[in-house]
Amino acid sequence: MSLALAGTLHAALSLNEIVAKYPDIPRLIIIKTDVQRRGIHYTERALSIVDPAIHQIRSPYLFGSRDGAIKPLPESLLLRDGTTIFVDPTPLEQNPYQVDLVEGRLALVDNGEVVEFVRLWEKPLYYDQKTSSGIPMSHIASARPQRLNIFQSSYCHFWAEQKGCRFCDIVNHNKQQKHELGVPVRLKPEDVSETIREALKEPGRFTNICLTAGSVLKGKDLFDHEVDYYIETLLAIGENFATKKFPSELISSAFNEKQLIRLYEQTGIMSYTSDLEVLNEEKFNWICPGKADTLGYNEWKKRLIRAVDIFGKGNVGTGLVGGVELAKPYGFGSENEALEATFEEAESLAVNGVTTFFIVWVPRPGSDFRGQQNPSLEYFVRLASGLHQIRAKYRLSIDFNDYRRCGNHPDTDLSRLL
Amino acid sequence: MSVQLSDELVSLLHDRESIKLLATTDESGTPHVVAKDSIHISEDGTIHYLEHLESSRTNHNLVRAIWFDRRVSIVIIGTHQSFQIKGRPLEVHITGPLFQKHYAEVRHRLGDVDLSGVWVIEPLEVINENPEIRRQEEEKRRPFFRHLDRLAKPLKGI
Repeated sequence: MSLALAGTLHAALSLNEIVAKYPDIPRLIIIKTDVQRRGIHYTERALSIVDPAIHQIRSPYLFGSRDGAIKPLPESLLLRDGTTIFVDPTPLEQNPYQVDLVEGRLALVDNGEVVEFVRLWEKPLYYDQKTSSGIPMSHIASARPQRLNIFQSSYCHFWAEQKGCRFCDIVNHNKQQKHELGVPVRLKPEDVSETIREALKEPGRFTNICLTAGSVLKGKDLFDHEVDYYIETLLAIGENFATKKFPSELISSAFNEKQLIRLYEQTGIMSYTSDLEVLNEEKFNWICPGKADTLGYNEWKKRLIRAVDIFGKGNVGTGLVGGVELAKPYGFGSENEALEATFEEAESLAVNGVTTFFIVWVPRPGSDFRGQQNPSLEYFVRLASGLHQIRAKYRLSIDFNDYRRCGNHPDTDLSRLL
Repeated sequence: MSVQLSDELVSLLHDRESIKLLATTDESGTPHVVAKDSIHISEDGTIHYLEHLESSRTNHNLVRAIWFDRRVSIVIIGTHQSFQIKGRPLEVHITGPLFQKHYAEVRHRLGDVDLSGVWVIEPLEVINENPEIRRQEEEKRRPFFRHLDRLAKPLKGI
């Protein structure tokens, strides 16, 4: 029996028990969280109604899936409240939810019971186009239901020094993507500009553009080259807008004040995220050795706080890989201890105008943490609820990264009503 | 259980001159009622409401309704008729063909406006709010609910 399956079987409370125990948390968000936690498997019946002309098939992404394969399966799912489930195909032995065809509709099924009906993501029109340089536009910008992702460079310099984050598979996955699909490792600004121009021709399709990439350590100041490259790409994107600023998010390394001012003043970017990944210095040092060695936990935090003066309160955030704080062998010993530490740190950031959100940790086969088990559903529900409550307490907006403009954070799904 | 709407009600919903009100409730149960001309009936018998503003109170209340299984109410008022529909939000389209169809249509009709979502509301109960019909129903079902003077014999000579 795999570690993952063993972990699933001893989970403390079932989905229905969690729904009953937390009546203030919407059942749909709890379902989303559990589906992200456990993954999905498409049955043959479900796949029989997938039409690549209509539905979005898995396109290039920064990180790999938990089956370690690149297969032409549906990109992902939507719930009836508009909540996105961003979820990977998962080997059956890890006990994922099944996506099956029930009464002519796709449904999430667990132990033979229909949990909820779902819809597939629709393919944007630009996915059928190529750039003038001959690259499929789906390789330049990956679509979510309402967002465009630009992964401008898929190499992370921390990996070159064997100091990549332990949950991350970016370089391994992107080698695989380049080899199997021919996805460029580094995007040219003119290809990005052309792709965005094509995407904007579809009315009502997108509300946000997100740029992210691996860390680039080179430059006069640390990360200067990373900043230069983002500015170049953002200026290319900006050619397509009538306004200087456009709804957008940059997820990058923790830049210094001078770099942040350059980014904000020279480009159309409206929000800034730099991921601490785990809110505890000791765990950070173990889990993110590259980030720890270059800047360190406290400087990373300080830079986030300084970014609020430039981007404004509610426009600066930090992302966590929720659950890695419990990874073996040096993670927290209990879920309560992990939550307490995380909330304390999230609050110290919120006081200073920085909002914290998380993705559900998926132990990917291309990462150092492969084969580990992510925490219980109850842990993730409590984490989502706690981070949402901190955001509400400090009146921090999450408009740049909410259910619609991102869709990958259970806690920001809850903040839809802020 | 979903109910089928009468032809009279369907035609009232189609009529652009009808007044349409949407009532929702907030977190504390306080009602919020607004006039909405973007309510219409779809081919499958559900009611579609086009929400233009992501942050509106109505939109937030509809999200609460779909999350926590709350009901909403729609009142349609014509020249001589009035109906109330009790319903529940089944789904909201924030993307996809139905959303994009309405997005293009509202922008064509109203200019530079946005669209947040297309809410699908299942009708669960219909009440004919015509005052005369309501009075007749009450007198038939609740014969005690009337003042005696209305039943008194007319006095001779008056």
